[in-house]
Amino acid sequence: MTEEETVPAVRADRLYKVFGKEGPRAVDLLSDGRHRDEISELNVTAAVIDVTFDVEPGEIFVVMGLSGSGKSTLIRMLNGLLEPTSGVVEIDGTDITTLPSNQLRRLRSQHVSMVFQHFALFPHRTVLENAAYGLEVSKTPRAERREKAYHALGLVGLEGWENHVPEQLSGGMKQRVGLARALTAETDIILMDEAFSALDPLIRRDMQTQLLELQASLGKTVVFITHDLNEAMLLGDRICMLRDGRVAQIGTAEEILNAPADSYVANFVEDVDRSRVLTAASVMLPPSEGLDSSVAPVHPDTTLANLFHRASRSPAPLPVVDDSGRLVGELDGSALLAALAPNGGEAGGAGVSGTGTTVTAEPGRPVSKEGGRP
Amino acid sequence: MSAYTTGDAVTVPQVPVGETFELVINWLRANLSALFDLIGEVIGTSVRTLSDFLSEPSATQLTLLGCAIIAVGLATRGRARAVTVAVAAYLALYLVEALTGVLASVIGSLPGGLFYWAMELFDAGYVFPPLVLTLVLLVALLSIAAQRQWAPAGVVALAWLLVLVGQHILGVQFELFAVLIFAALAILISGWRLAVFTVLGFLLIISMDRWLEAMSTLALVLVATGLAVAIAIPIGILAAYSNRVSAVLKPILDFMQTMPAFVYLIPAIAFFGVGQVPGVIATIVFAMPPGVRLTELGIRQVDQELVEAGEAFGAPNMQILRGIQLPLALTTIMAGINQVIMLSLSMVVIAGMVGAGGLGNVVYSGIARADVVLGFEGGVAVVILAIFLDRLTASVTRFSPAARAKRMTVG
Repeated sequence: MTEEETVPAVRADRLYKVFGKEGPRAVDLLSDGRHRDEISELNVTAAVIDVTFDVEPGEIFVVMGLSGSGKSTLIRMLNGLLEPTSGVVEIDGTDITTLPSNQLRRLRSQHVSMVFQHFALFPHRTVLENAAYGLEVSKTPRAERREKAYHALGLVGLEGWENHVPEQLSGGMKQRVGLARALTAETDIILMDEAFSALDPLIRRDMQTQLLELQASLGKTVVFITHDLNEAMLLGDRICMLRDGRVAQIGTAEEILNAPADSYVANFVEDVDRSRVLTAASVMLPPSEGLDSSVAPVHPDTTLANLFHRASRSPAPLPVVDDSGRLVGELDGSALLAALAPNGGEAGGAGVSGTGTTVTAEPGRPVSKEGGRP
Repeated sequence: MSAYTTGDAVTVPQVPVGETFELVINWLRANLSALFDLIGEVIGTSVRTLSDFLSEPSATQLTLLGCAIIAVGLATRGRARAVTVAVAAYLALYLVEALTGVLASVIGSLPGGLFYWAMELFDAGYVFPPLVLTLVLLVALLSIAAQRQWAPAGVVALAWLLVLVGQHILGVQFELFAVLIFAALAILISGWRLAVFTVLGFLLIISMDRWLEAMSTLALVLVATGLAVAIAIPIGILAAYSNRVSAVLKPILDFMQTMPAFVYLIPAIAFFGVGQVPGVIATIVFAMPPGVRLTELGIRQVDQELVEAGEAFGAPNMQILRGIQLPLALTTIMAGINQVIMLSLSMVVIAGMVGAGGLGNVVYSGIARADVVLGFEGGVAVVILAIFLDRLTASVTRFSPAARAKRMTVG
């Protein structure tokens, strides 16, 4: 995030989308800080309000919000399917809001592909033809696009299904085809609109793991939309929390867990399985003198869920040792337990239970708005 | 009426609706007669040609039919380029022959004994150059098919030979072969049930001695349907894309469909005189609306997320229309075409009143002479044609990409 030279893969700058005739006027009012319910007399729907973020190349950027928070509208502005009412979207440094439609189409076919919530596979085409669609649009020769589609289908584990039609596939397999279609297009950016939300929990888990593996090997930039916080925490290098069209907080999973920007975010992260998000590095204590070196060390990136068993068996604290073999901290059972409390860690004993945190700020709108964007 | 009109009664001014309409028609006749003549000529020629072909095809036409079937079959099996070359060469030679008569003089200079014997097969006492050219085309296409080892081409050629031998050497009347050809079509597109019905139904038409009229009516319906569909589908696509077009179109389509069909005959006669052409025109106007409506419906019904997927991958609108919307709307569009055909058949009798001939004429004579036999037989023949066309077009959707995908799921 600190590399200043690199051009962000996706950049949104003060982005607004207001549906309705009075859109521009609504933008003026909203930029003065009014809530979208306060401008109901304009008869407009403010879906996205003043959203600004950068997505670095190779990053998984998760946009997280409940239904109606404007996340689907936001993602459709990132590839120009919707035109922003105000603000700028840049893809690899190109402002797409001013592009004529033919150049916008070319940009989509070369730089930004998309995976859809309900798969959006073409029922009249085989799996292979579906996967090859992006290259068909860009007029790649038939033999080449078939070969690339075969390859992408292999990457998502669908060898042997090339000549079936989507109807014959289960939900998880359909979405693999959707993913293969996006991969075959060979774009550097993939937008995923609630891509795994329609899948069964077990299959969703598989797909999440697969996406992380693919991203690690292919280095694609992924903008991932979800309403599931656990999914956001698992996948996202950084997470953008949307609330009522506005950004509530942008940060890594740990930042959001440990330092929620307002009571809304705090409420939201309350139910997260912290043990799967927090890592040894974020909860460890400074190494103490005379640490028992006979105890097997753990890696700083290990999630807490994978540490409980060992911490409970080990009489001495676990040493935390990084890749270069340096001792960076230590962990014991009590540190692990303390980290699981909401707002635990550095907050000390401020919020011990879920109800405790909400006392300080009721989740009513005025309070959280002030807390959210100073 | 005037007896009841008192001084203080409220009178509604008479709007000259009909008179205005007549003025418009007269103006169009006076200023655009060349256009109407051209349209009339094209429609008239196509109906006549098709009707001749269906009732008594020449050897050249039959050969062309065989060529067409084989050419289409080969083109869809990856030999499009070779087929295009062969057909283009044929058309070029045909044109040269028509303009210069080179081939005729070449043939004339050859000793006649070389091929006069073969002309028996084609029931011709002389060598007819277009027939020779078409035969060459058939041989060319057959050799392409042989390369591909595409057996159906051989079957088509064999059938073609059998028809010619049967017709000109054995003296079997063509009607019987036509029944077999229709039955073959029924088997290919629908199944054996329709084929059985086709054989029995068409034999009944022959036995009632209504074959020529039935084929004339079939030609009229096919030409009218073809034109109506060619107009309806683009309009339907426009209506699906634009709510405004759709809103404007709706009352017009209602008007077209509910206006008593007889009314269309009056201006049609004014423009095109009596005969088949006004019948076709009136049929087109009356039968077109379901084609437009169902095309619009079919395209609007396509899942919006699929269209969005096309856009998200950068496909231009035309490619989305061709590759996504039309294939997925095809079943609905075919239902519309089916409706167009049925409405066309229902117009046949009305068209018969303006001298369109065919079965309509038979039924109309039956009415005029109070001849139950004539009227009923004509009516039965219309019903047989209607069932045949209805089942055939209903089955065509089996070949749509979406239906094929569905079959793969079951199979």
